[in-house]
Amino acid sequence: MKQILDRLSPYFLAGPAVLVIGVACLYPTLMAVRLSFYKWSLGDPWSSAQWLGLSAFRQALTDPAVLHSLIVTVVFAAIVVSAEMVIGTALALLMERQVAGISLFRTIFIMPMMVAPIVVGMIWRYVFDTQFGPANALLTALGLPAQSWLANPSLAFLAVVVSDIWQWTPFVIIMVLAGLQNLDQSALEAAQIDGATPRQVILRVKLPMLMPVLVITALMRLIDAFRVLEVIFALTFGGPGSATEVLPLHIYKTAFVGQQLGYASAISVLLLVVVFALSLATLALSNPLKDPRQ
Amino acid sequence: MKRRDCLKLFAGAAAGPLMAPALITPARAANRYARFAGKTIVVNWPAHPHYDAAAQFIPEFTKLTGIKVELDKMQYMRMHDKQLLEMSKPQSDYDAIAMLGMWKTEYVKKGLLAPLEPMMANADLADPGYDLQDIVPAYLSNIGMVGGPKGYLPGPGAKLYALPFGTETSIMAYRADILDQYGFAPPQSYAELLAMVGPLHDKAKIGAVTSRGQSGHQTTHAFLLHLNPLGGRVFDDAWNPAFVSEAGIGAVDVLRTVVETGPQGIPSFGFGEMENAFLLGQAAIYIDTIAIIGDVKNPKKSRVDGKVRYALHPKGARYSAESGGFGLAIPARSQNAEAAFLFLQWITSRAQDVAIALGGGVAMRNSTLANPDVLKKYPEYSVLKEQLKHTDPDWRPIIPEWGRIDEQILGVKINEALIGSATSKAALEACVAPIVDVMKQGGYIKA
Repeated sequence: MKQILDRLSPYFLAGPAVLVIGVACLYPTLMAVRLSFYKWSLGDPWSSAQWLGLSAFRQALTDPAVLHSLIVTVVFAAIVVSAEMVIGTALALLMERQVAGISLFRTIFIMPMMVAPIVVGMIWRYVFDTQFGPANALLTALGLPAQSWLANPSLAFLAVVVSDIWQWTPFVIIMVLAGLQNLDQSALEAAQIDGATPRQVILRVKLPMLMPVLVITALMRLIDAFRVLEVIFALTFGGPGSATEVLPLHIYKTAFVGQQLGYASAISVLLLVVVFALSLATLALSNPLKDPRQ
Repeated sequence: MKRRDCLKLFAGAAAGPLMAPALITPARAANRYARFAGKTIVVNWPAHPHYDAAAQFIPEFTKLTGIKVELDKMQYMRMHDKQLLEMSKPQSDYDAIAMLGMWKTEYVKKGLLAPLEPMMANADLADPGYDLQDIVPAYLSNIGMVGGPKGYLPGPGAKLYALPFGTETSIMAYRADILDQYGFAPPQSYAELLAMVGPLHDKAKIGAVTSRGQSGHQTTHAFLLHLNPLGGRVFDDAWNPAFVSEAGIGAVDVLRTVVETGPQGIPSFGFGEMENAFLLGQAAIYIDTIAIIGDVKNPKKSRVDGKVRYALHPKGARYSAESGGFGLAIPARSQNAEAAFLFLQWITSRAQDVAIALGGGVAMRNSTLANPDVLKKYPEYSVLKEQLKHTDPDWRPIIPEWGRIDEQILGVKINEALIGSATSKAALEACVAPIVDVMKQGGYIKA
């Protein structure tokens, strides 16, 4: 009896979590996959849904608007994740030092992450407002011409990149700080005894030891960057033209403006596949869960 | 459609309420509200100057009827999907909604709205003093009627689904002080407007005309603002795209000129930014909704009170103006439809229309536009009265597919022309094929 209970106990312990994940994550995903085979719009009875098979996927793969949004998303994700990893890691290494007032700085630095994304979008929309925004006020004070930040494709893209970096670099800082605090101090002491310079300690000891944390952090940010919606929704709504129309925003517009929920679901499934492939590629490069002895 | 025709068409819809007095006993009228006392209705309500002005009177409704009103207030362009979600439920969480007229056919096609005539004909609910025919016909057509030969205008088979509330008509507001100072007369035609915007911008060092321009709906709205007066249409009578025309290209060219000579950043402007540019003194001319009248006088929003005058929307090939805006409707699955109807009836009544207009909202009744108190406080309404003679309820096609065409096709491609990524003609031509696809899918054009 005791043996049976011992054998079952992991299932009892993991069961509730699996159930919650199944209901909260898997069920909507499966419903989205199901919906992608139908033509249906919100408000219509499900009985009126029309079976389309794979045609929505075929359409998505040749739709110039989808491909454009995918390219915008990939470029956006590549820039913001790279920038956030570099800036976040550098700031974490600075904040690791025990100097006066560092706790206050840490608190200030992580605050952007706590702001709701839609509010972040509104804040940055104000910052980049052509007429009254602080960005142009600063340029004018410096004797430079004011810019139409959100009306110029390149500047608007820059604006969404800056807002994402502002909001999510703190996440990288927290992850790297946590990783730094768990580093094996004996390795660091050994490096110092061997005469390593601070730069060498960072590049040759700390960063290699942090690599599992960095990979997981980059992966989480990459997945998030591919799902970015609210900030761009409030900041540019994809414009000017479609210069900042990332794939999640295109999916949103297709679903709720165009009322093509089936087609939007098909694009969502394709996005899921892209993110899954990128995640696998990242893990293939460095899998923190892999036993190093293998 | 002529006003006379509209009145004839509405006569049927109005017959119920107009006949109601004969059926109503005084006790019935007195008890109209009694059985709903204590109920709470939830109303989806936009952040909009008219609705802000109207909200201050809602406590009076609660005092009169005992019905509490809970407002779910949100940015108006975010209301559509929220309303679809809420109204699709077996029991809608909204008892009434404020909706843009352009959503009406989609909602009705999906069976999400309750027709108002049955409630207007219900002697237990209808106010015998309610005067439907007093509502400006163009508003009632554009916002309230669904069905008829075109699907979205009055005619045989059309039914009333919404009461206009927060209506819009395009007019021109201009900074009289600036135009006087630099020797410009207010433009009466597009030719005069286009001739003056460059010199005005250069001399006054101010944006000439403010405009919406954000990619999507806002750009389409700005395009249509000019398309109709210039003599253009979105579709021909067979639902084929008709905007790649002299008038269509001209309308985009007008917008491009407006962007070049207007306040900086127009291709990112939503309604708020566009209006603020005028209210805060960054632009000399505003051509858009009448909602500006109340906001100009609002010291919290405006720095230009006392400097603004109003005139007709300039003439192109014809005088024309947009007419539309918001209406109040009742979801088909509302849990308190009758109480919601009483609210709609009260807040769109003659007395409330006057009160709201005096409070900074927009009048939608002919009687309000002729009210001496309103005209004394807002002499600008004389311009609106004149402008309403030139409104065209068919200035845009309100078909269920319009959202997709408006937001995802026209609004994006024309915005590309505004930022210089495409010529006016190329931008419009790029819209044709995707719009034809949409129209084929909708069954308007044979595949």
